[in-house]
Amino acid sequence: MRSGTASVAESFALARELRERIVAHARESAPNEACGLLAGRSGGPARVIRCANVHDTPTTRYRIDPREQLRAFREMDDRSEELVAIYHSHPASQPYPSPTDRAESHYPDAVYLLVSLRTAEPEVRGFRIDDDLVREVQILER
Amino acid sequence: MPVTVRLPGALRDATGGLTKLEASGGTLADIIADIERRHPGFRGRILDEAGRLRTYVNVYIGEDDARSKGGTDAPVPDGSEVMVIPAMAGGAHPR
Repeated sequence: MRSGTASVAESFALARELRERIVAHARESAPNEACGLLAGRSGGPARVIRCANVHDTPTTRYRIDPREQLRAFREMDDRSEELVAIYHSHPASQPYPSPTDRAESHYPDAVYLLVSLRTAEPEVRGFRIDDDLVREVQILER
Repeated sequence: MPVTVRLPGALRDATGGLTKLEASGGTLADIIADIERRHPGFRGRILDEAGRLRTYVNVYIGEDDARSKGGTDAPVPDGSEVMVIPAMAGGAHPR
């Protein structure tokens, strides 16, 4: 059934307010990378959960504080929410998954949002990362 | 009394899609072995060749980080919740 049908890119609805919160977090954290989660129901992100970047080299790497992850997962469970997206910033480079991003991704069901501050107007792009397979997700601002 | 094991993230493909399951055992190693019996291949996703927790896998037994309680030797009290959480990490580039 798949042959002959056009491939439809996945899209991801991101409220302007949530996008602004992520960008604000990235700006506040620069020159370090910012990181956090988006939780929601039925696949749609509803709130931003800022997390601490506990990596030893935070200007070019991120690692979400595992205790904050634990707390966030429990909170999502209590609120009947799901993990929808994981975001982080690239303060000085393009918003595209780096080799490090691909190697260290373990959440194929979440959208990875990347915020780049390399230009005056921040760029936000979304991707699915499954092993070494990277697929861009179209972000629809609403 | 069994313990509840929760697996958010990519590890659920090692348990046939289950994100929450029950297991029995007195230590984390016992719990992993119990799941391995039902879901062959699970152990290798959590532990490395030397039998240690893989670096990107964080395990909490209740509020305790298993690494601070002896790693795979960490005791797992009856009825506790074991959360296996792959790290969320990456970044632009190494220096």
